[in-house]
This record gives sequence, C-alpha cells and structure tokens, in this order.
Amino acid sequence: MSANPSSSVIAAFRVFQQELDTKHDKYERLVKISRDITIESKRTIFLLHRVTNVPDAEDVLNEADVKLDGVRQKIGHIAEELRGEDIFQFHRAFTPGIQEYVEAVSFLHYIRHRSLISLEEINARLVFMRTEKEDPKGSAEALPQGAHVLTFQVTPSDYLLGVADLTGELMRMCISSVGNGDIDTPFQLSQFLRQIHDGFSYIGNTGPYEVSKKLHTLRQSLGKVEDACYTLRVRGSEIPKHMLADVFSSRTTLIDPEEGVV
Amino acid sequence: MNKREGEGSSRKNVDSAQEQDMSANPSSSVIAAFRVFQQELDTKHDKYERLVKISRDITIESKRTIFLLHRVTNVPDAEDVLNEADVKLDGVRQKIGHIAEELRGEDIFQFHRAFTPGIQEYVEAVSFLHYIRHRSLISLEEINARLVFMRTEKEDPKGSAEALPQGAHVLTFQVTPSDYLLGVADLTGELMRMCISSVGNGDIDTPFQLSQFLRQIHDGFSYIGNTGPYEVSKKLHTLRQSLGKVEDACYTLRVRGSEIPKHMLADVFSSRTTLIDPEEGVV
Repeated sequence: MSANPSSSVIAAFRVFQQELDTKHDKYERLVKISRDITIESKRTIFLLHRVTNVPDAEDVLNEADVKLDGVRQKIGHIAEELRGEDIFQFHRAFTPGIQEYVEAVSFLHYIRHRSLISLEEINARLVFMRTEKEDPKGSAEALPQGAHVLTFQVTPSDYLLGVADLTGELMRMCISSVGNGDIDTPFQLSQFLRQIHDGFSYIGNTGPYEVSKKLHTLRQSLGKVEDACYTLRVRGSEIPKHMLADVFSSRTTLIDPEEGVV
Repeated sequence: MNKREGEGSSRKNVDSAQEQDMSANPSSSVIAAFRVFQQELDTKHDKYERLVKISRDITIESKRTIFLLHRVTNVPDAEDVLNEADVKLDGVRQKIGHIAEELRGEDIFQFHRAFTPGIQEYVEAVSFLHYIRHRSLISLEEINARLVFMRTEKEDPKGSAEALPQGAHVLTFQVTPSDYLLGVADLTGELMRMCISSVGNGDIDTPFQLSQFLRQIHDGFSYIGNTGPYEVSKKLHTLRQSLGKVEDACYTLRVRGSEIPKHMLADVFSSRTTLIDPEEGVV
C-alpha cells in the first residue's frame, strides 16, 4: 500500500509542490510589501491634512514628496517580483497598497494643482531603472548599457477605487479648512466632488463590485461638503469667523471611525 | 493621530483668535505634547506591524509542517518525516523567539491580536506531531517549556535554559490558555483527516483510537461551552462534525468492514466522506 517514492507520479507532484511553494512565497512577499505601502501612504495622507494648519505649506508638501518617493521605491520592489509573472495572479496581494498610494498621490496633486491627477501621470512616475549593479533611478531618459527598464502599471480599477477613497479625504480637508477660516476651499471642493460623483454615476454597477459601496460613501461625503457650503453661504454672514468651527463640530462628524492602522 | 493633532491645534487657536493670528504656534507645549504622542503611537503601530509579519511567517511554516505530517501514513519510513517536521518546528520556535524579543517590556495583550493566528497554528502543528509520536495530547506546560530562549550579549540564542552564562537574558514566551484551546480545536480537524487517510491506507486501528481521543476532547470542550473565548463556539460546531466523520468511519469499518476487502476500503470512504476541507491552503 505504501507509495513508491521514486515513481514518476510522485516526482511530478514534487515539481508541483515546488512551483506552488514558490508562488505562495512570492504572494506572501507581495502582501508584506503592500502592507508597508499602505502604512506609508496613510501616514503621508495624515501629513497632508496638516497643510491647512501651518503657515508654511511648502515644507509639508516637500516632506510628503519624500515619503511618496519612498513608497515608489517599494512599488519598484513589487515590479521586480512581478517580472515575468502574470500580474493578475498576484493582483489581490498588492491592490490595497496600490489603492492607498493612488489616494495619497492624488491628494498631493490636488493640494498643489486643484485638479485630479490622471492615470497616465501616475504610471509615468512608476518607471524604474535596474542596472547590473541594481542601482535604481527614477527617470527613464538615459538608458545605459545593460540596464533594464521596469514599469509598474496601475490598473484602471485600482485607480478608480483610489480616487473614490480620495473623496473621503477631500471631505475631511474641506471641514478642517472651514475650521481654519478658509471659506473658498469648500466651494471649490463642492464642485470638484460633484464632478467626480457624476463620473462615478456613469459607471454605476458596471465597474468592480467595490465601486457600489464607495459610491454610497461618496454621496455621503458630497452631502457633507454641500452642507458645509450651505452653512457658509446662507448662515455664514450671521456668524463670526472664529465661531464657525464650533458650528461645524456640532453638525458634522469629523472623524471617520475606520481611519487608523490596525 | 496626526490628523487629530492638526485639528486640535486649529480648534485651540480659533478659541484664542483675539490674541494671535490663525496659524498654530509650532513651539507651544500642546503641540510638543502631541508630537510625543505621535512618536509613541507610531512606534506602537510599527511594532504591531512587525508582529503581524512574523505571525504570518509562523502560520505559513506551521501549515507546511502539518501538510508534511499528513504524509506520515503514506511513506514506509515515518521517522524521516518526523525529523523533518522537528526541524521545521525548530525554525518556527526561532521566529517565536523574535516575537518574545519584540514583546520584551511590553503589555502582551496590547499586541495579542497580532500574533494569535500564528501561535494557534503553531500549537496545532506541535500537538499534531506530539500525537503522532505519543498518541496523547501535549499539555500547555510542555509547549511553554520549549519556548524558552537565551539571549546573550552577542545575541546568541539557545533553546535550553539550564546554563545561565553571565550577562545572558532568559526570554520566555507564554502561550495563553485561550490560544492553546483554539489550537487544539484546530488539531481535531487535522486528526479527522488523518483518520480518513489512514483508513485509505488499510490501517484499521487508528480510527478507533482517534474516535476515543476525539470524543474525550469533545467532552472537554463541552464543559467549557460558551464560557470561553467566543471562537470556541464555532470550533465546537466543527469539532462535532469531525467527530461525526470519524465515528462514521469506525462504524463502516466495524459493521460493514468484514464484507469489504482491504484494498476496496479506500473507495468506500471516498464516496461517503469529503476528504479535503475547502479552506485548507495558503492564501
């Protein structure tokens, strides 16, 4: 009854075992890198929320740039692991990290340029050089001999989900900017979020299934921002600036309970 | 955390808007206090994240050990497999040593949820190995006795605790009783699998031993009922199913077994019970 250990069937299974173990080990490494990316991107977003509060916004933005460069290095590691592999077999490993990265980089882009970063712009910065000495550079213009160019393409669905998360952060930024006495930002944000919301409504249920949940959250965020604009416009003339923060703290929930690294 | 720091400072300054302008004074004592909070929290979260990573490694290695141990019934030389499993579990104990290092001086229950999955898998693996060798259930004290680590000044870990060179620290990792319980509950699933595969190999003694053993474990868990950790109720349900499958196997052997030649027994079982639990596998 005992199996002959040198039979060809057993040998074939040993090959399968090695292939599967290699694949699972790679998946596990990608999960670990993705968790690091998520944590670093979330910390960048927390940092960016402070822009409205400090006199010198440029320092904060530069610090955020540095953090995001660190995140891009880690995305380079993901690209290394995925070299020669079918990326969709590992997509679920790194998708949370990539969504957080899209959220962070689009938030920074909005603060600087008041516009939505495009998927092409995001992917343009995810180009990595790997020379023989494993010396990565961010630019792709010079191509020394023996160098490999690695790219990481963010998928459109990850981009969409990252942008949906961005709207939650923009809502928070709106409420805190009102608390600081800035009464222009809410109106800009209201228009911007309305456009994003309309875009998502076009997609409806034809996109990835997470989009429906995020569309619901997006409506709530849009509602809060528009409430803020209403309070400012209709009631604003009655209330002195330094009291505005108190009006808002009693009306809207500022802290989203799911924020935080667990 | 950091976000609260920003909002807190803006709120405080809005209240005292008469005295200064709207921007926060970066050297105020409140901001300084918040920076200390930020560092503490970041350190804590980083430690939690490291523990989660170690725990995932422990889970994967323990699961692979269990897969290895299932092969004991199929190969002629069981001792090789058991030694290989010992080596793997020593590797897992090294990683538990790393957890003990991280937890030095900390409140372990603040980080318990980070490492509990790994520790439960380890308990499952080591109790499975112990059962295969000794046909008995390993006790919590025995498990903890092997989780003693030596850390000398040169960071040279040894497994034994008898010799205590100068400047050495003894680190222990205590598996909590609830982790032990949940690990033993998972063990019963593996024992059920071992029972079914041993019948397929023609071994008709193991199922009866296992049936008694699982019945005792099941009775023990019934004493606990709902007074234990909440996961116990779910696992008790699974335990009843496993016990049912093992007792079905014994029934088939005893009552129907005389009718069926040994080499046909495997076919009888493959048509009656599900061998592979769909949740097995590393994801």
